[in-house]
Amino acid sequence: MRILILAAILSLACTTKVSEWVLLNAPANQYTLIYFYNGQINETARNQNASIGREIKPANIEFRSVEKKDIGQPFYALYYGNRLFRRYNDPKDLIGLTVSPLRKKIASEIMTGKLCVLTYLTTGNKEKDEKGMQIIQKALGDSPFKNIITVVELSRSSVEESHFVSLLLNVEDDLKTIPEPMLFGVFGRFKALEPLLGKGITEENIRLMIDFLTADCSCLIKDNLPGTDILFTNSWDNPTIALVNKILDENPSLLHH
Amino acid sequence: MDQDSSAYDSLAVRPLPKWLTDQRDGLTKIQPATIEMKEDRSLAISFIFTGAIIILAIALLTVIILRKKKKNST
Repeated sequence: MRILILAAILSLACTTKVSEWVLLNAPANQYTLIYFYNGQINETARNQNASIGREIKPANIEFRSVEKKDIGQPFYALYYGNRLFRRYNDPKDLIGLTVSPLRKKIASEIMTGKLCVLTYLTTGNKEKDEKGMQIIQKALGDSPFKNIITVVELSRSSVEESHFVSLLLNVEDDLKTIPEPMLFGVFGRFKALEPLLGKGITEENIRLMIDFLTADCSCLIKDNLPGTDILFTNSWDNPTIALVNKILDENPSLLHH
Repeated sequence: MDQDSSAYDSLAVRPLPKWLTDQRDGLTKIQPATIEMKEDRSLAISFIFTGAIIILAIALLTVIILRKKKKNST
């Protein structure tokens, strides 16, 4: 009887892989952009805010104005939950906050059924950056999932992707102070895992990242999803069926729970 | 995650991400229930029970046969 009950429980367990489950079922967490002002909001600022509100509306962000008595100049502040990510004094700094070419590319890869996009944030130190990239390429070259993982390189000093870089460096509080190359696993609805960085970028750790994303999505993972959702404008409806399933069906020996 | 959220004296002492250590240590899996072996006495009980029935049956039959014999002799 005990064996029968155990078999019944196991048959009900989720066999959807972590990467696919998060894409299909875990909506991206919301950011909040707050316009702090003191006194009255003038006409120009009102129009600017209306325009900003329209531009960022399709993204995982809410925009509101809050009066703050103890400030001189108005400013914008971007929050993720209760964490302050960045302060902007000029509304022009908000251009491209929710969308950028690389983020579009990453989202498009995820929507075509890829397992994840490994986003390699480089430092500008050629020696360190190349060493990390060699390890990534070696790890992926040996992986049976190499064809369903995309690697993109992003310079920490990129102007075009400055908002994306800033969001990635806010995934953990101290990342901005660490001048090392970082490898972010991006999956689901633009969720970035806490990165591997510096000497932590090893073949073994990259393999563990892939294992994490290809494992069955247990309740333990669902209840405590790691990572930070990146701010982005996208529709996550009707993604292509996850390509990982085909690989696992053809190679049952790769299955792990 | 608390273990990742503060600055550390050096990168060498900065812990790995929690998702990574959990994956490495198998903590993201549902742990199977531990099945404890208990002493199985069912076979001994079965033998004792069967033996008792046999002895009881023999005793009963003996009594019946002896009574029958006694009756016939009288």
